Amino acid sequence: MEEFGKDPEEAPGPENQQERSSLQSGEADEEVHEDVNEEPHNQQPEDKKVEESEKMVLSQRILTLQRELPEQIRNIQTAADAKESMRRTEQEKACRLRLELLENDVKSSQEKFGEIIGEWSTANQKITPQELQELLNNQQKLSSALLDDKKRVINELQQELKVGDDRYVKDLRKHAEELGLMMERVEDQIKTLKMAYREELAHIQRINQQESEVLLTTDKAEWEQRLKALWDKELDRLMQRQEKVEEYNEKVEDVVLETRDQFNDKQLGHNEKLMAMVRERKQLEAASMSTQRILTVIPKPDGPDNLIQRKLRLVRKEMLNLKAQYSSQQKCITQMKRQLTDRRNRIVQQHGHTQKKIQHFAVADVKKFEQMWLMIEDEVKQLVERVLVLDSIIYKQHLGLAWERPHMAFMGRSGLIQPQKQTQSPTHQAVTQVIRTQDLQGSQRMTDASVGPMLKTDAESVTTEVHKAESEGGAEVEERKLSNEALKTVMELLCDELGFLFEEKFLSQLAPLEEEEQAVMKLSSLFSAFGISKREVPRLAQVLLKHKNQKRLQTEDVCVETGNSSDKAEDAGASCMSHVTSEHMDLNHLLPALKSFLEQHMRSREVPASQNLSFQCEAVRDTSEDQAYWESMSNVISEDKVKVWEAAESKIKQYHAELTEISELITETLSLEQQNAELRVLLQQYLQSIVFTDLESS
Amino acid sequence: MSRSPYLQGATINPAEDFRRMRRIVAEDLDWTLVIVPCLSKLCLQSFIRNFEEKPIFEELSPTQRDFVQEGLSTSLPLNLTANLISDGVFWKRCCEERWDLCDVSHYGHSWKRMFFERHMENIIELFIPYSTEEKTVLEMVPLCKNYVKRLNISQLLPPIREPEGEEEDELGLDSPYQNENEGQSMDHFNFKILLSKLTNLEELHLVYKVNQCGMNFEWQMFEMTDKDCKSLASALKSCKTLKILRLHESHIEDKKCLLLVKHLLDHPSLRELDFSHNLIGDKGARAVAKLLNKSQLETLNLYDNDIRDHGAKALAHALAKNPTLQSLNLRLNRVGDEGGQAIANALLNNKTLSHLHLGANKVTEPTVITLAKVIAQNNTLKSINISCNCLGEDGGKALEEAMSYNTSITECDVCLTGMGEQSVSFINQAVWTNKKNAI
Repeated sequence: MEEFGKDPEEAPGPENQQERSSLQSGEADEEVHEDVNEEPHNQQPEDKKVEESEKMVLSQRILTLQRELPEQIRNIQTAADAKESMRRTEQEKACRLRLELLENDVKSSQEKFGEIIGEWSTANQKITPQELQELLNNQQKLSSALLDDKKRVINELQQELKVGDDRYVKDLRKHAEELGLMMERVEDQIKTLKMAYREELAHIQRINQQESEVLLTTDKAEWEQRLKALWDKELDRLMQRQEKVEEYNEKVEDVVLETRDQFNDKQLGHNEKLMAMVRERKQLEAASMSTQRILTVIPKPDGPDNLIQRKLRLVRKEMLNLKAQYSSQQKCITQMKRQLTDRRNRIVQQHGHTQKKIQHFAVADVKKFEQMWLMIEDEVKQLVERVLVLDSIIYKQHLGLAWERPHMAFMGRSGLIQPQKQTQSPTHQAVTQVIRTQDLQGSQRMTDASVGPMLKTDAESVTTEVHKAESEGGAEVEERKLSNEALKTVMELLCDELGFLFEEKFLSQLAPLEEEEQAVMKLSSLFSAFGISKREVPRLAQVLLKHKNQKRLQTEDVCVETGNSSDKAEDAGASCMSHVTSEHMDLNHLLPALKSFLEQHMRSREVPASQNLSFQCEAVRDTSEDQAYWESMSNVISEDKVKVWEAAESKIKQYHAELTEISELITETLSLEQQNAELRVLLQQYLQSIVFTDLESS
Repeated sequence: MSRSPYLQGATINPAEDFRRMRRIVAEDLDWTLVIVPCLSKLCLQSFIRNFEEKPIFEELSPTQRDFVQEGLSTSLPLNLTANLISDGVFWKRCCEERWDLCDVSHYGHSWKRMFFERHMENIIELFIPYSTEEKTVLEMVPLCKNYVKRLNISQLLPPIREPEGEEEDELGLDSPYQNENEGQSMDHFNFKILLSKLTNLEELHLVYKVNQCGMNFEWQMFEMTDKDCKSLASALKSCKTLKILRLHESHIEDKKCLLLVKHLLDHPSLRELDFSHNLIGDKGARAVAKLLNKSQLETLNLYDNDIRDHGAKALAHALAKNPTLQSLNLRLNRVGDEGGQAIANALLNNKTLSHLHLGANKVTEPTVITLAKVIAQNNTLKSINISCNCLGEDGGKALEEAMSYNTSITECDVCLTGMGEQSVSFINQAVWTNKKNAI
């Protein structure tokens, strides 16, 4: 029962503690509040200290919380400990009491037991049954008392046990309650701690924000201040710079003005100086002019030698210059000359080539023409023959008339139609022959030209011979001689007549030479001047001679020609004169002849000589005769005959058509005949079969 | 009007209608080409599916390993996964599947360690001697020995007693022979087979009790038998890595304590010994005192035992010479003034002890006065607890005076000591200032 009483005393322990702890926490809160109250006082003087103190307060609060809160739990534990220790002491006490009680009980029961045992010993002395009964009863009583004692003790112990059990159960309940309390507290603590931490966090955040704001504002202010200062400085500098710029501008203007003034002054001075100098110069010039004039006016006193010498020098200089120019020009000219000669040679070569070619082509053309002529003539003749044959057939067979072969002179002919002139002018032929021989003898003549002087003596005789030969009308041997001699004479004539063409210098240079050599040189120079090559020399001679011949022929044949009136007159005048004189007297006509030759020559240069010849041949041919010839060929069948032919053709065609019809009819009749025959055979067969059947049937 | 022929047609040509009914319907409306997984992912998934037949893990790259860990089934046999799969998501999944509360911070932030420790604990806690085969435990040893650092065993089941046995018990309660027999039959799991094999074990928390016994309560369920004690002692001796040993609520008497301490002498690694809530008396305390100077113990906890003045004197004697012990807890004992004085005097010479708990020890004024001397003089003591002792006003004053000289004590519990309010607040203030200074 004591335990029951004590327990309630202990029970409020934790509550008290709780109260105490709450008091403590309240104190702490008060402290905090006090601190907070103190804050505003301190805030004004020092901000930072306040923040620090705030921080300190906060941290202290947290610390106190951390310290106080677990203390509550610890208090419960300690209370439990205290209770446990108390319980132990009580238990010990109870144990001791119990042990004492048990010992007492054991003692008393042992005493009683001893009494009972002692009684048993006295029981032997008792003899009387009553005494024994009494003793027994007494013993029984004693033992029952002992048993009662024991039972009592047992009951007591059992009761104690019960109480202990109850207490244990109570303790357990209390423990459970305490545990619940503890858990509650722990949860509360957790809550409060959380709150505290949150508050602290918020506080710290706030402080941090404040600090950052303060820092920001201060920084901003500082920044603005510094910026302002910087801008002010910049402005000052700018102003200074502007001022300086203005100053410098002014200075520059001043300097410019100064320099301009100076320059102007200097220019003026220079101009003046220049003017002065010009004036001086003019004066000097005037002076020099005057002196010159004086000098010119009075050359002698000055010294003629000087003047002459000067002039000489000038002339020499000019001479030298001219010489240089001359040499350079000469060089140029020589170069040009060389180039030109080269070009000329080249052109001449080309010309020769082209001439050759043209000659070749001309010959080929002539040949071809002849061949063509012949061929076509043959063909035409064959055609004519056929026509004639057909004609004869038509006449003989168709018309039944006698046919006569028409007269055809051209049939007997063949080849080219030769011009009729051949017979007309044998002299011309001779001339051409002479020309040909001369062509052949071109090379010979050249040697003759070089050996000219030797033949010169025979010149007279040759000319006569020429004359003879020409009058006779052509012996070739004589002609050759003549030509050589004639050449000579012609050459000499040329030399003499054309003497006016030579320069005096040339003649003077030739003077030392012999006459023959002179002539040769003259001729060569002449030919070179005329541009006549050595080959053409004979031709020249021939032309000249021809010229003479023509005149003579004119006189002889009395044919009307368009010759020169002067020639006619001359010829008329000198017709009776001897040939030799006439030849010699021809000198006057030599020039025009030469002229004409040269003109011809110039022309013939462009057209080669041989071609010239062939042209002459072609030109001689009479194309009208050709036409007539060919027309006579075509007119073998006359117009009447053609009409007859056409009529005959139509008739023959009709006849032919009829004939073809007949032939067709013949084939038809043949087939019909065949059919007829077949039908007949069939009929016969059929008849035969009918007869047989009739026979059988019958 | 226009519908009727259509309907007729529909009825007439059911085949056609059926054909019209057949439409290509997308089987998965959410299907897009984007969702089609990569081939590598598919491969990994097939790895996961066939992990039991062909475990491929170490060849993979870290990211692939993560993927595999995410996908592996937690029901895979442990002998496959234990040494193959490294600490990671897989073990986290395993843990969270088995237990609701998983605070990985208590396990060195290793899910694997957590899994294996708790798995081992479960096995041992559910081990029933003579009916469960030892093989079940031993099979696990090679798998988890590398990961288990702590075993916190909250119950050890006794062997199942047959109904006949109960009768025997009832019959032969008095006979000592029967008792012995029964003791044998009440033996728990034999740690001898296990501890020497767990090469990484550092902490062992043992409680010889049964959780949730319900109406089958028997005192014997909450006891450690002699044989248990013997086997445990030798097992502890064989476990050379053990640092912390806690044996709570296991009914350890002086005899068992002697036995245990005898085997723990000169243990190479033991740092903390905790025999809280037992029945250790003066003899056991003497043995522990002997152990104090024959080991490197730093923490000794004898909370809630039955140590009286003799045992306390023995402990004080050892404490006076001990250079290692930092914390001594004698809460809820019966030390008394003699023992308390002895301990306080020992502290005059000790320079290592920093935590002392003498709460609920029947200590009174004289002890506090000697303690006050110690407090005034000693600078290593940091926390002192003398709550639940009848110290009286004078003791409070003495302590108050001593605290005014001390600068090291940051915790001092003087609740329920009968001190004056003033002295308590002063002491608290002094502690508070000390604490602030310490910070």
